[in-house]
Amino acid sequence: MTESTIAEAIASGEMPGRVWIYSNYHCNLACSYCLTESSPRSERRELTAEQMLTIAIEAKSLGFTGIGVTGGEPMLLPWLPETVAAMAAHLPVILLTNGTLLGGDRFERAAPLAHPDIAVQISLDSHQPDLNDMARGPDNFDKVVAVVPRLIVSGVRVRIATTTAGPLDSPTLDPLRALVRSLGVRDEDHIVRPIVRRGRADERDLGVVAVARNIPSELTIAADGAFWGSFGPTVRAGRLDTDLLLTRTILPLSIPASTLLATLRGLPEGADASLGIR
Amino acid sequence: MSRTQLLDADQAPITAQPYFADGDPGPIVAALATVPELLGPTLNFVGAALGPGSVTTRAKELAILRTSVLQGCRYCIHAHTAVALDVGLSTDEIRALRGDIALEDAFPEVSEQTLIGWIDALAGATGAVPDDVWIAARAHWPEHALVELTVTVGATMLLNRLATGLDLPTSDQVTARLRTEGFV
Ligand code: SF4
Repeated sequence: MTESTIAEAIASGEMPGRVWIYSNYHCNLACSYCLTESSPRSERRELTAEQMLTIAIEAKSLGFTGIGVTGGEPMLLPWLPETVAAMAAHLPVILLTNGTLLGGDRFERAAPLAHPDIAVQISLDSHQPDLNDMARGPDNFDKVVAVVPRLIVSGVRVRIATTTAGPLDSPTLDPLRALVRSLGVRDEDHIVRPIVRRGRADERDLGVVAVARNIPSELTIAADGAFWGSFGPTVRAGRLDTDLLLTRTILPLSIPASTLLATLRGLPEGADASLGIR
Repeated sequence: MSRTQLLDADQAPITAQPYFADGDPGPIVAALATVPELLGPTLNFVGAALGPGSVTTRAKELAILRTSVLQGCRYCIHAHTAVALDVGLSTDEIRALRGDIALEDAFPEVSEQTLIGWIDALAGATGAVPDDVWIAARAHWPEHALVELTVTVGATMLLNRLATGLDLPTSDQVTARLRTEGFV
């Protein structure tokens, strides 16, 4: 498969334009529904800054249109903000973070993220601090509510992601929507998504069951390989899930990208994202 | 038990799932599936090298079993003892290839003796293959057949090292068969 075939597939909408990157798997939190069983004790499985930048450069030349960086908690990597800024010189980047490592003096680490092609997506699951913190850990609500306005004032584009076990359009989410608005986040930057039953969520019987056709087929790169979708490289009982593994080869990016496209073309009609997973 | 994870149908990578569609594909596929981009090319190559070709199935199985014996691969010796029985090699021929009885007694035909000489020089030694071994085999086998059987020996050695290095388990089915035939 040639590189132009990949570019044409992206341009025509046959293949999604975003590449997800799992920068690392460890996290300062240990949320109840975490797909990667992340915690401070998790195996780190880090990519290097050089690998991440190379992925962005190659993604651009293959015709991809955006990058998402997730983990684990990416901000645990000391070089992450500067690397994300360097990546944004090639493609727009969404950085997923729990937002709790930017409090106090550490706030200045966010400076490189004030960039027109970077959005920072922070999780907030409830307008009720105790409910939010039950899933995401002590003081999470307070830390997020404090840091979001600071980021916005300093020029960082912030999106909020809410992960819920309930219906995505439930009126019970209205107070949360109002809270997010009051923090300065636009409605279109507030994403509500279901818990996906993989990783720790599966062990705790949470969330919706998802198979490949329910999961957006966005190329996803982790230290362990390349996967079908950002819900691919999940971890259960300490072991990486391999059901959505495409290749162990991650670079050159054309290898996993062409494998994804070939797999996509081999799937039956009707592949969609009808569960609202994103 | 295997040193590496043997993937089952639930954990089979999306690109490897066709290999699991008809049930347990066996330990070689289950191990290779952890690196799915190698699965198709490796199985295609091994299938072509070990499968039907221009030489007889008997000659191929002889090459595969003898190579596995020389390489000391428990997994492949077990699996291909069963296959050799299936394709019609006699118990004595198999015992001879396994080193239990004299080769000359089980393989009186000179053509097969020269072929075994070629296989032994390839898989049982390192370094140059002596001219006289090639010349003896060429007197009975066309050049293309020896090329094909050389690829069979090479592919078998790949499987031997894979199965031995990863300590792949002999399947219960094969063990039961070998027990019935008196090989274990
Ligand atoms: S869900 Fe995110 S913030 Fe929570 S433990 Fe997992 S990686 Fe960390």
